[in-house]
Amino acid sequence: MAKVIIIQTKNIYNSKEGINSEKLNNLYTRGFHLLTGFKDSKSSIKALLSTDKKTGIKINTIGGRSLSTRPKVSLSLADYLIEGGLEEKNILIWDRTNRELMNADYRLNMNQNGIKIFGTDSNTIGYKKKLTVHRSIGSLFSSIQSDIVSQSISLAILKDHGLAGITAGMKNYFGSIHNPNKYHDFNCNPFVADLFDAPAIREKHRLTILDALTVQFHKGPAYHSLWAEEYGGLIMSTDPVAADYVGWQVIEELRKKHGLPSLKEENREPLYIKTAEKLGLGSVNPANITILREEI
Amino acid sequence: MRRRNFLKFSAAAGLTPKKCLLPFASDLFSFSDTANLSKVEARYYTKLPDREIECQLCPRFCKLGDKERGYCGVRENMGGTYYTLVYGKACAVHVDPIEKKPLFHFLPKTTALSIATAGCNVNCKFCQNWEISQVRPEQITHIDLPPESVVKTAEKNNCPSIAYTYSEPLIFFEYMYDTSLEARRKGIKNVVITGAHVNPEPFKDLLEVVDGVKIDLKAFNQDFYTKYVRGKLQPVLDAIVAASQSHVWLEIVYLVIPTLNDTTSEIRQMCRWIKKEIGPDVPLHFSRFYPYYLMKNLPPTPLSTLESLRNTALEEGLNYVYIGNIPAHEAENTYCPHCGEIIVKRMGYIIEKINIKNGRCALCGQEIPGFWS
Repeated sequence: MAKVIIIQTKNIYNSKEGINSEKLNNLYTRGFHLLTGFKDSKSSIKALLSTDKKTGIKINTIGGRSLSTRPKVSLSLADYLIEGGLEEKNILIWDRTNRELMNADYRLNMNQNGIKIFGTDSNTIGYKKKLTVHRSIGSLFSSIQSDIVSQSISLAILKDHGLAGITAGMKNYFGSIHNPNKYHDFNCNPFVADLFDAPAIREKHRLTILDALTVQFHKGPAYHSLWAEEYGGLIMSTDPVAADYVGWQVIEELRKKHGLPSLKEENREPLYIKTAEKLGLGSVNPANITILREEI
Repeated sequence: MRRRNFLKFSAAAGLTPKKCLLPFASDLFSFSDTANLSKVEARYYTKLPDREIECQLCPRFCKLGDKERGYCGVRENMGGTYYTLVYGKACAVHVDPIEKKPLFHFLPKTTALSIATAGCNVNCKFCQNWEISQVRPEQITHIDLPPESVVKTAEKNNCPSIAYTYSEPLIFFEYMYDTSLEARRKGIKNVVITGAHVNPEPFKDLLEVVDGVKIDLKAFNQDFYTKYVRGKLQPVLDAIVAASQSHVWLEIVYLVIPTLNDTTSEIRQMCRWIKKEIGPDVPLHFSRFYPYYLMKNLPPTPLSTLESLRNTALEEGLNYVYIGNIPAHEAENTYCPHCGEIIVKRMGYIIEKINIKNGRCALCGQEIPGFWS
């Protein structure tokens, strides 16, 4: 049985500091507690990750400052991981390019010490020279995903996507290959599922966290204030398919609330999520998913 | 002969490109600064509400939100305006024999300044140049080479033509078009080496400014295009017809892939279509496949298959049928369809003899279609 946590709070933003740090930290603390059953960070992180391994936090910064995984969201997670026993030098927050990271207000850090933050296009990083051919995928993997990190967290922004239906935890890994533009046909189906099934991801992925503080429920992936709602939530699961399925349902709820047709009615249902279940990557059947929803 | 051995052989025989000004894939994935990409507004697109656009360059009609790139990876929607990122950004610059394109009836024994940018609007599993065609421009080294510099480079290297080639030149349409205009002003010809997965309007406009086009017809059935090319066949056929009806010289290349597009019935059907729609005089090249990119599980095309398919094409009444990627094969030569004698004798990219005078067979006077001088 898959477990998915939806943890929410009201007024996550304030005029002084943008995201309210205290509330965000509380979301993580309570979310990990609900997910693992452990109240303390050490036990909860130990239940999910190896504390001595290099851990990648794959974020999504294509949306610029308005609609990316914000620094506060990823750094707050990193703090929780450190509190849980990971060494900060073993944590790497990353995306495709340094430019995208900087456009989303990240300060790059490639130093030996401290939490590392950089893109695949950094000097000495790059893509693997050998193609990975897996199911419908033929791509070069970022060296970060294939070589540097041993375990991986997908910290993805949850949003509507004009071609894919939605962008969530699995599609976030499109940013780990050199040619994602080749995989947007047919609402990204089966490409998202096939990519996730590749060993470099499947064998390393440990946790999905969907950043649903603000959810773009229509006209994504770019930011449009008219169709963006403060949701104040994080969606967490060790089941990548169930996490994406629940994220999809959140977007459908918001669309319905705002009088918009369903993604299916717009011919962009994210069927790659169902394909992922067929590949054995997780659960999409609501009967097999326990959703723990809490507002703090 | 294995591909590596073929390349060794070609080099030893002096059949390799004469001059390499910027070798592609020399520094693959070294990354160019994204700030160094071009930001020139693209042609052939429609603005839609909410900062979305629809690209109308090729039959994909990519509908893109803000900050998204098309399938080609080189055209991006920035705030509701569509830009080409590769205008003047050449990632390969070579001086090649025109025969390498291959164009056999177009200024033989001359060289073409050959340029490419990153990107392609299809994803052929058998691509021989995927290191530049299937990457984004910021993932590969390129140089600034605006249209006027391309033309100057061609002049400097005594190239009577410029070839837009290697990747898919249609995706750098604006760069190719403007360079072609500049070249034409200087008396230099333009040739396009393309898969022709393009919409009618841009292709028609392109044909106005170029002199030769070689089209890769990758199969004669949609199923192949769906599975192995990720594109559509009909627009390619339409482009072939459009080129044949223009002033532009046309040649067709068909890469023969064992078990996938090599049946006699398919080739016969294709040849009948060519003869009916275009006529018997369009040169048709059956090219040998070598396992590469995402199709390493198949062997190189047997020579017997190529010879058999060539015979089929000749039986169907096509006059100029060649076999490519087999250096020194007799089907590299041009034979006069009237007297049967060799009128252009080739050895790889080397032209040993030309028996054509004023566009006619020097031996019997038969008119030989082409762009001979």
